[in-house]
Amino acid sequence: MRKLFFYVPLVLFLALTVFLLSGLFSDPRERESASLNKALPEFALADLMQPQQIWTPQQLHGETFLLNVWGTWCPTCNAELGYLTELRKQGIKIVGLYYELPRDPAFDAPFNLKVLQQDVAQKLQQNGDPYQFNILDLERRLSLDLGVSGAPETFLIDSNGIVRAHHIGDINPQIWRAKLAPLYQQWSQP
Amino acid sequence: MIVEAGQLALTFAFALSLLLAIIPLYGSFVANPRMLLLAKPLALGQFLFCLLAMLALIYAFRTNDFTVVNVAQNSSSTLPWYYQITASFGSHEGSMLLWVLMLAGWTALVAQFSKALPLLLLGRILGILGVICVGFIAFSLFMSNPFERSLPFFPVEGRDLNPLLQDFGMIMHPPTLYMGYVGFAVAFAFAIAALMGGRFDSVWARWVQPWALAAWLFLTLGIMLGSWWAYNELGWGGWWFWDPVENASFMPWLAGTALIHSLAVTEKRGTFKSWTVLLALAAFALSLVGAFLVRSGVLVSVHSFATDPGRGMYLLVFLLLVVGGSLLLYGMRMNSVRSQARYQLFSREMMLWGNNIFLLTACLIVFLGTLFPLFHKELGLGSISIGEPFFNQMFYYLTIPFALMLGLGPWVRWKQQQFTPLVKPLGLVFVAALILALGVLASMQSVQANLALLGMLLGAWVGVSALAEVMLRMRQFGSVTQGLTKLNASHYGMTLAHIGFAVLVIGVAMTKTYTEERDVRMQEGDTATLAGYQFTLVDVYDLDGPNYGGQAAELDVRKDGGYVTHLHAEKRFYRIQRTIMTEAAVHARLSRDLYVSLGEELPGNAWALRIQVKPFVRWIWLGGLLMTLGALLALADKRYRRKTPPATTQEVANA
Repeated sequence: MRKLFFYVPLVLFLALTVFLLSGLFSDPRERESASLNKALPEFALADLMQPQQIWTPQQLHGETFLLNVWGTWCPTCNAELGYLTELRKQGIKIVGLYYELPRDPAFDAPFNLKVLQQDVAQKLQQNGDPYQFNILDLERRLSLDLGVSGAPETFLIDSNGIVRAHHIGDINPQIWRAKLAPLYQQWSQP
Repeated sequence: MIVEAGQLALTFAFALSLLLAIIPLYGSFVANPRMLLLAKPLALGQFLFCLLAMLALIYAFRTNDFTVVNVAQNSSSTLPWYYQITASFGSHEGSMLLWVLMLAGWTALVAQFSKALPLLLLGRILGILGVICVGFIAFSLFMSNPFERSLPFFPVEGRDLNPLLQDFGMIMHPPTLYMGYVGFAVAFAFAIAALMGGRFDSVWARWVQPWALAAWLFLTLGIMLGSWWAYNELGWGGWWFWDPVENASFMPWLAGTALIHSLAVTEKRGTFKSWTVLLALAAFALSLVGAFLVRSGVLVSVHSFATDPGRGMYLLVFLLLVVGGSLLLYGMRMNSVRSQARYQLFSREMMLWGNNIFLLTACLIVFLGTLFPLFHKELGLGSISIGEPFFNQMFYYLTIPFALMLGLGPWVRWKQQQFTPLVKPLGLVFVAALILALGVLASMQSVQANLALLGMLLGAWVGVSALAEVMLRMRQFGSVTQGLTKLNASHYGMTLAHIGFAVLVIGVAMTKTYTEERDVRMQEGDTATLAGYQFTLVDVYDLDGPNYGGQAAELDVRKDGGYVTHLHAEKRFYRIQRTIMTEAAVHARLSRDLYVSLGEELPGNAWALRIQVKPFVRWIWLGGLLMTLGALLALADKRYRRKTPPATTQEVANA
């Protein structure tokens, strides 16, 4: 018994190397989204352009669509607007989730919806408008519930309102073809 | 030309390391003294060629030779000359060469300063170090060559050194840290040689101790410099982040701390042998695991080098051979080693055993906290992250019993200690510590109990106890002045290091409790008040550095109407790498730091500034410095330089 005791460090070390070995072949930055394969979280948020219109998850049922998290303050988001507009022309439904930056009451001007609407309209005119409509997530509560870590991010939502994919970063032709188009095909089949 | 010469020198060093790894070890088994005697010249030659290789690389950086990929990616012609030199070890390839140079350096030092060692043992130690050198020189030469050229197409200007590394702290931090990591290779080699020969007596422990102390000294200093650098350079006043790579340096430190204590037991009492050997193996093994974690991309960290699975694979196989092989040898050999000494429950041995247990528990916590996300993910359970709160809480609970025991430990005799004689002096120490702690807290602006009181009390307990103990020992030699010279240097070293720990604990607790922080918007002429200090923004102007632009802010600080100091905070924009860096303005006093970092420009000619008043933050690094000095003092102890008769050929033949 005492003899075997001195082999304990070796056994522990060998177990460690197994993990290190498998760790070598996986990307530490890649992570499964927590919102995957779950229904959209409950929300009731105003439309960005027509604030009297309130959107809830139930209203979005019935059609597979992309939920694109973006903001005019985010250069990458603005850059992908062009390609997303092309996708819209191909018949893909894209809903914007407008992600507003937090405001510091000490520094920033108070929130002004008119200014934001003008800003957004101008950006969409310049770069193309891929959105059926935009949901304004002023307090970022929905973004938080979805596990958004920044912008741009895009979710694929199926016709039952279940999140089927979570893509971090911009959408370009290559990423669409390689990653998102197959998923879109899969989940848009009736 | 010079670059090719560097490449050639590294190749020669590789050849010599191969010879060093084979000849003396073989000689030790066939009892051939001539082969054993070859170890020293081979070790010295290997170091010489590594040094030439490093000098050649530095030459390439100083002459802006952008045909060398490494230079083009990590330097530029506008970089100041001293950063051009440090850029030579700023990349993965360069730092690997530095690592190799230091490994060869330690090997040469062992060869040069071990006249007292028996020839057989020395030959084996150098041979084992040679094996480790082979692994790392081959890695540098074949897997991450620092001399690679990109001819015929090469850039006319380099990509510049990462601005994070353009700081004095960064000049010193990596070499010191590497000296520490690699230094544990020596204790490792001593342990393996002892496992081969089966001799682990107190003489062996006395041979290892100075090398373990030296490595620990550098590691302590390196970690401390890293923390100091982060504080000045990252701009938010933090000094430890529990980043995976910080943890990778902290683990060998904890194992090394346990090792130097365990060695003391083995030296004085000839016991704890299996502990000591295991710790000697563990300290270096953890250094290697750390090197693997940093260079393989398994974990995400700000410190990570560019990742490459090929390199990771190589290091993992090397790790498996070196550490796996040594632990196998440990398992095979250790059960035949018996410790004779007997001791009671309340004895110095038990106190140091407790020390080992606590330090290893701490090491295990850091280890699990660092690698748990990896385990979790590889077991298919998804991604998680473990952050500061986990480590902070764990170390909070560990420090309390550890510090209590540390105050008691040095008073306790070897073998057996009666409880009653200690009650009175330690009672006095405790009362003194309590008065001291309450006194300091009463002088603070607000009395906040809990953490600050606990930290002050534990710190004062350890510090006062260490001082009182050394006074008592001196008095045992008659008068204090007589005792001053009679006590061992290593005893003073221990006392100083323990006081360093006390200072560190006080610094951490006080900073955590009393730091005040404000983010403010200021225009020129505005004043912000924090903790009784009035910070007035006098001026903001544009900067024009050699390879950066940006803004600088000038502030005046007043307290109670009186002028305190002038602060200069910078926000630099490094042109080539297009990165923004903050250079915080720090006004340091023993009792508090004033810390200002310059943030974004805001609409209306205003600036965002972060102002912090951090009481006792200096104590954190002062504690580290005292520990380093303690190790230095212990190294000066005469008994580590006592001569034993040199080995004879006869002894070799008998081995």
